[in-house]
Amino acid sequence: MTSLDQARELLREFPVVDGHNDLPWALREQVRYDLGARDIAGDQSAHLHTDLPRLRAGGVGAQFWSVYVRADQPDPVPATLEQIDCVRQLLARHPRELAPALTAADMEAARGQGRIASLMGAEGGHSIADSLGTLRGLYDLGVRYLTLTHNFNVAWADSATDEPGVGGLSAFGREVVREMNRLGMLVDLSHVAATTMRDALDATSAPVIFSHSSARAVCDHPRNIPDDVLERLPANGGVAMVTFVPKFVLQAAVDWTAAADENMRAHGLHHLDTTAEGMRIHRAFEEAHPRPVATVSTVADHLDHMREVAGIDHLGIGGDYDGTAFTPDGLNDVSTYPNLIAELLDRGWSKADLAKLTWKNAVRVLGAAEDVARHLQETRAPSNATLASLDT
Amino acid sequence: MADLQDDLHPAAEVGRIDEPYPREAVIVTPETYEPVSDPDAEPLTRAHAVLAAHPVADGYSGLPWALRRLPWYDLDLGESAVDADVPRLRKGQVGAVFWSLHLPEADDGGRAVGATLEQLDLAKAVVAAHDEGLRPARSAGEVADARNCGRVAVLFGPAGAAALGDSLGVLRSLHTLGLRVLTLTGASWAGAAGLTRFGEEVVREMNRVGMIANLSYASAPVIRRVLAVSKAPVLFSRSAARALRPHPANLPDELLADVGRAKGLCMVPLTAEQSGPTVRDVADHLDHVRTVAGPECVGLSGTYDTGGAHPQELADTSCYPRLIAELLGRGWDETEVALLTWGNVQRVLREAHFTAHVAQQRRPPSTATIEDLDG
Repeated sequence: MTSLDQARELLREFPVVDGHNDLPWALREQVRYDLGARDIAGDQSAHLHTDLPRLRAGGVGAQFWSVYVRADQPDPVPATLEQIDCVRQLLARHPRELAPALTAADMEAARGQGRIASLMGAEGGHSIADSLGTLRGLYDLGVRYLTLTHNFNVAWADSATDEPGVGGLSAFGREVVREMNRLGMLVDLSHVAATTMRDALDATSAPVIFSHSSARAVCDHPRNIPDDVLERLPANGGVAMVTFVPKFVLQAAVDWTAAADENMRAHGLHHLDTTAEGMRIHRAFEEAHPRPVATVSTVADHLDHMREVAGIDHLGIGGDYDGTAFTPDGLNDVSTYPNLIAELLDRGWSKADLAKLTWKNAVRVLGAAEDVARHLQETRAPSNATLASLDT
Repeated sequence: MADLQDDLHPAAEVGRIDEPYPREAVIVTPETYEPVSDPDAEPLTRAHAVLAAHPVADGYSGLPWALRRLPWYDLDLGESAVDADVPRLRKGQVGAVFWSLHLPEADDGGRAVGATLEQLDLAKAVVAAHDEGLRPARSAGEVADARNCGRVAVLFGPAGAAALGDSLGVLRSLHTLGLRVLTLTGASWAGAAGLTRFGEEVVREMNRVGMIANLSYASAPVIRRVLAVSKAPVLFSRSAARALRPHPANLPDELLADVGRAKGLCMVPLTAEQSGPTVRDVADHLDHVRTVAGPECVGLSGTYDTGGAHPQELADTSCYPRLIAELLGRGWDETEVALLTWGNVQRVLREAHFTAHVAQQRRPPSTATIEDLDG
């Protein structure tokens, strides 16, 4: 039996809980939610990383669907509700394949039925528009994690990819974390600055997650988790879900991206310029300097390190499929998780270890957040705090 | 409302035979009404007896917004700073109430969606904090459940059309959160000229999800168009008779007749401004609406905690029996009172639910955008 066969067998019992998939955003951008035009019941590999047959082939048993919206718009709340509506429509269209899930028990029930437990995560504090009432509205709609920031700071939390603002979490930011604890919404620390990670770990009374982040010691990129934060996960009980995005996991790709950005700026353009001229210059650069390719082994290196620092009970997987243009060789879409599991088997990870990585840790964390919420709700009423009342 | 079997858009459903949905299955009227009061008793005694069996379903309350300015309140014990609390709702024999979601005036759509989420959150928190007296309800069935548990059912809505942020996805999400009534004013697609194409799509999608249209304060062209397009009954959460009192939200007789034909519901507000300064004035409006629109198309709207003055003897939510006594004294039949207080609202909620059930078999969620339809 090859290790790939073993991996598939393993995933049949303990399938993958994936922390982050941007299918709703892809459907919004590509077809404006015309779900018939990108019917995920069939092969969509020409357009998407994700469809139901490939989720099956990949051994996915639970998916946090990201309800991400852009932060650079005047009001991100309506778009967030549209993204949530999109997930609900996907669930309504594919009831045999996708099971609505709000709790750890729902996840286990879906596994028992052979369906893919479907949860929602909001990617960025901008989606709550500085309002705890809006946060509770998202929870009521089924959102079970909030990433505190996306690529830019919010008024109450610093992002990993922005200039320092409040220096981590502000007083209101800590109140957001406390209210999430009270609700049973997971605090997601992907995308946030290391200062925010540390502040959130100080403020939270429930386990946190990193829905899609890898190890900074292996690849020095601000989107990854520093070792001192990974070291705190055993005490917190949380889980770091390794991501596959090449420009975060492969040092050569990090350096290449920096050089490509510098090249754009040297031509007097913004580094994310997508005009015809910008694309031409970018293509010319890419022809002269081939884009470095990450592999399954690159991601496994991160997991080996994260395991050493945080421990086997604090690892998970968050592929970021359909949220990234490029993927590692061998991890090209949602059907490829078995390749990663096979690689880890070859590196000597036991079946018990892998069951924790793929399924058990993530389910445990959601269940623990629910327990904390039940406890807190006995003593604490919904918070009426506002940004203005705490941060001025 | 067009009849359910009278599909305005048959072309959308090619290759499938429309199965007529029997109206009898939709409208459940008390077939044999058992009188609950002694016809020879005093009107107020009779009013209490009728309301015990057919409590008031109040079409409009501003309570959540009114509570916002209070640092502390207790609706279970009684709260004199507002017009409604649990003891007075019980004394007034109120069985259900719609809580309007007030958007700040400055919100011209910019932050209206988030403000609506906050209002829904606040309303739910108030209900949850008073669960001995109040219970949230989303359907006719849940309203009945709440009543069977001795609780006042609280329904969420109306909210202004700005709450949608011009998005049908937002409409569906707000419905998921429990919003059940939307007022078709304050949006570019429902203005003085009537409904735009997107506006019509909003109404169709409201029918599909089971969101009831409120047309008080809507322009006459919007009212007429919604009455034609909507397959579910509409309501007017705060409209009296313009023939008796000129007010922009009061309905002229020809519109009242249209409402009667469409089996909508005109809910007469208990405010001095719209109905007049006395109980008799309110009763005059109820008489008039009953005559012009029909007894199954008239309802009550307390309009408490909205800042306006109320008629004498109708100062707060405990006063409904006095009004019902006036109607019984005028010779209203007990069955008509039962429809006025409870039955008509239950019918509208039930029909909205049935219409949604049928529409969901026929139509997928609409992906239309305001840019697509209104350019």
